[in-house]
Amino acid sequence: MWYHKPAINEELLQSLPNLKVVASSGVGIDHLDLKLLSSYGVKVSNTPFIVSTDTADMGMALLLASSRRLVEGHEMAVSPDTEYFPADWLGVEVSGATLGIVGMGTIGYKVAERAKAFEMKIFYHNRNQRKKEEESAVGAVYCKKIDDLLQQSDFVLLAVNLTPQTHKLIGKRELELMKPTATLINISRGLIVDQDALVEALQNKVIKAAALDVTYPEPLPRDHPLLKMKNVIITPHIGSATKKTRWVMMEEMAESIQAGLAGLPVPREVL
Amino acid sequence: IGKKVQAIYLWWHKPVINKELLQSLPNLKVIANSGVGMDHLDLKLVASFGVKMANAPRAVSSTTADTGMALLLASARRLVEVHNISISPSMEYCEADILGVKVAGATLGIIGMGSIGYKIALRAKAFEMNILYHNRTRREVQEEQAVGATYCKKIDNLLQQADFVMLTVNLTPQTHKLIGKRELELMKPTATLINISRGAVVDQEALAAALQAGVIRAAALDVTSPEPLPRDHPLLKLKNVIITPHLGIKTDKATYMITEEAVENILAALSGLPLPSEVLPS
Repeated sequence: MWYHKPAINEELLQSLPNLKVVASSGVGIDHLDLKLLSSYGVKVSNTPFIVSTDTADMGMALLLASSRRLVEGHEMAVSPDTEYFPADWLGVEVSGATLGIVGMGTIGYKVAERAKAFEMKIFYHNRNQRKKEEESAVGAVYCKKIDDLLQQSDFVLLAVNLTPQTHKLIGKRELELMKPTATLINISRGLIVDQDALVEALQNKVIKAAALDVTYPEPLPRDHPLLKMKNVIITPHIGSATKKTRWVMMEEMAESIQAGLAGLPVPREVL
Repeated sequence: IGKKVQAIYLWWHKPVINKELLQSLPNLKVIANSGVGMDHLDLKLVASFGVKMANAPRAVSSTTADTGMALLLASARRLVEVHNISISPSMEYCEADILGVKVAGATLGIIGMGSIGYKIALRAKAFEMNILYHNRTRREVQEEQAVGATYCKKIDNLLQQADFVMLTVNLTPQTHKLIGKRELELMKPTATLINISRGAVVDQEALAAALQAGVIRAAALDVTSPEPLPRDHPLLKLKNVIITPHLGIKTDKATYMITEEAVENILAALSGLPLPSEVLPS
């Protein structure tokens, strides 16, 4: 299964009586009805850990690009109309700034490891608090209430998985709690954010900027307001899109399929 | 009015400091630079007029290192290309157009391991990169170990092994066109060149040719020669090149800090006290 295609529904499952295993690319499984698949006796696997590093890198790439206005800057540097670079053209400092990580799983933690090297102060919000040693290793401070994280962060990075509890986790209320100088970075799922509220918040300068590797839908309709905003960077869900990682993902999926077909325990099975 | 001027705060190389200007400002005591690079100043000429010079070394290193990492990541993950795909009217692309290079486990070669180069090493280590460096002098063992960096006495060794080559030297007669046709051909065809030092450190024509011929994979340049490049320059048209308008230290916080440093130096000079960051002609 690649980029959520084909769509797995009752009709498809009924038409494939000998289907034994669905190997899904990447870590997210929000697009799969696990109960339905289980009822048809079909096993499901994903590729959870191999994607973590590249996705964390993508989060940092978006954070840095947004803060320093990299895309805008490149456009100015290559534009036929540019005669000189304005002296008052500034971005926002990353070193020493405060990063709030929402969702401190494998990916969130790898982001924290990277952010620490930039001397960033790190807050995190998670269903559960991490162990003290894990927190100290990256200098991360737990925020039991997401509001505390939102109010203090210069950069808010979303690294949760999509569940009924995280659907529209970031809406009008949460955006208004953020600093007006803050940037929202989303490397999780488009549906974690109330997109209409985000558009309004950006237009009204409730927050400063956004950098999104994921949207809903993907891709956005071509007339969507997010596509036209200078303070928004959008990338086409490339969290795990490096040659090396895609290669390993393919190998892992093939391995899971072969095990499923042989009736053996399926590596990386999702229950 | 010329007689009243006692100090100049140089902002992005303006005003141009030449003989005429210095002669017109008889009471000038100090020129404070907004940044660390002094290659745009004729240090001997300024000194000959009895004028002191200062730069702003403390404030720049973290911010410039951040710029270097921003460019490295943006180039590795083809950020500008894929953003343009995401917002384009048709959004047609094939998978090959969006696949980037994995940073974790890749080798970064840092040319110039001063404060900025070292801060890049600190950041790159967190991205699980292998680090090689080339410098006029070798760093202390503890400093190398802290970032896991291996010294390459010969630049060739670094160029042959690196997946990402980062230039963080200052511009001197020795580093002028340090990276030319020969050096580019030593690099891997899958390698990326990142320049956050000075445009003149790179032979730009050789770079354009190397990128067009696939001798190296890509380049990300925060600095060029001149800035901006002429609008018909070949580097502007290449898909695998990111050019940024000398972002270097252009953040709210850094510009505040370098201005504070400059003011400290100016006040010291006007009071006849030692300057915190005086630059002498070598």
